Amino acid sequence: MIQAIAASRCPTCALTVAPPAHFCPRHPVEMAPAAVAGVGEIVSFTTLHSPPEGFRAPLHIALVELEGGARFVCHGAETRGLRVGARVAIEAVDDVYYFAHLGALDRARLFWRRAGHAGDRVNAIARSLAQRVWKGSSGAER
Amino acid sequence: MHDVWVAGAAMTRIGRRSEPLTDLMAEAAHAALRGAGLEGPDAIVVATMNPEEFLGDGNFASHVATHLGFAGVPALRVETATSSGAAAFYAGFALVAAGLRRAVLVVGGEKMTHLPTPKVSELIGRSIDPYERRYGATMPALAGLVTRALLARHAVTPREMAQVAVKNHAHGAKNPLAHFRQPLTVDEVLESRMVADPLRLLHCCPISDGAAAVVLAADRARVRVAGIGQGTDTLAVRHRRELTSFPATQDAARAAYAMAGFGPERVEVAELHDAFAPFELIALEDTGLVPPGKAGRATLDGETALGGRLPVNPSGGLKARGHPLAATGLAQLVECVWQLTGEAAGRQVGARVALAHSIGGLATSNWVTLLEAA
Ligand SMILES: [Zn+2]
Repeated sequence: MIQAIAASRCPTCALTVAPPAHFCPRHPVEMAPAAVAGVGEIVSFTTLHSPPEGFRAPLHIALVELEGGARFVCHGAETRGLRVGARVAIEAVDDVYYFAHLGALDRARLFWRRAGHAGDRVNAIARSLAQRVWKGSSGAER
Repeated sequence: MHDVWVAGAAMTRIGRRSEPLTDLMAEAAHAALRGAGLEGPDAIVVATMNPEEFLGDGNFASHVATHLGFAGVPALRVETATSSGAAAFYAGFALVAAGLRRAVLVVGGEKMTHLPTPKVSELIGRSIDPYERRYGATMPALAGLVTRALLARHAVTPREMAQVAVKNHAHGAKNPLAHFRQPLTVDEVLESRMVADPLRLLHCCPISDGAAAVVLAADRARVRVAGIGQGTDTLAVRHRRELTSFPATQDAARAAYAMAGFGPERVEVAELHDAFAPFELIALEDTGLVPPGKAGRATLDGETALGGRLPVNPSGGLKARGHPLAATGLAQLVECVWQLTGEAAGRQVGARVALAHSIGGLATSNWVTLLEAA
């Protein structure tokens, strides 16, 4: 369920960035395609109470250190109880990335798996969470 | 390399101004030239961050030179986002140090208050990495990420952050050119509206109009440029390993101290880029002015207040003097000059060495400049 996230790695310094970049930010060399797991640790997060045009308040933004090394910027539907260092899973909804507490998502998956509805339901939940944050359906490509 | 001297320094009152930007820049520029005893410079360096969007005007070096009455004088524009004023100072310094020019007018300014706040935030936010912007990242948002990480590491406390704003408002009250001249209490800061959790409104600098100017000259004057350095970092915050300090400041400081031939121990007054209150605490440590981990304590103990061991932001800083973007790096240097020449009436420190620190973008292009009284 947790997606692999497209990334790129520098052949010189091994810096991994997501989404992929053409050149390493620190070396004038082409980066090689890579993929990193959609799980990681919260480096920091914030909530904007007057977000920029096109976003709904409150807007949660997190910086997540993915397994595999890349740091990743994403949204979240909720930050209550969230701490720096918390384990989160990354989910994509309409090409927009969201973090969710790994524990809660895992519990949801187990529940729906037992009930006989696998991925669809979890995606539906993620989508409804996302709609609370996001105004349009493809807002990220404004 | 030739010695470079600050022969004149001036700035406008900062705040909500009705005059056009070119008039504000003329006020500062003409006053700086008068101070230098010059009729005109032999080159002009202009700093504006984004007059194309704020005002709809381009070709701004020619625009300003013509407006000032120096249409025949070579002029260029320098831009490094919110540190453009410091970058322009560097360009002027380099022209004189190289022996290409003998008297360079450096003038910076910005006009912002005529636009609604969300529009201003969006325009400033264009200096952020485009991918991070697509997730709603603004300057306060990225500063909020930095602040949360600082608090999580117990590197600063909410009270220490609030005290930065309180101190700088107390200083601004003594500066007739400051945007805000009313004092602030710690409780007012801690109870102000949440902007980018955990950053609150009164941790953040205002939107201001204003201009500042200096004349850099080959002929000896009362203040010498002892050292200047730039440090840079990745545009994207997610491409960095470090969130709670700014390597761009550390690199800039190292370069400035190396050029000056002395270290932070000789600095007696500083103007630091406190666009967000915790940034002053980060800058204090990144520039080596206080040991790692001690900035918050030093601030609570009054070490960085007027009358303390090392007064920081006697002008009121970005928080209280105001932050008219490209004017700010120069306004900091004007305050440093006035502190070194005894012209900072009401907030005079009595120093021989001053340090100015300016942040461009989210610490992607930072500057440290050291000035020394002759
Ligand atoms: Zn590399």
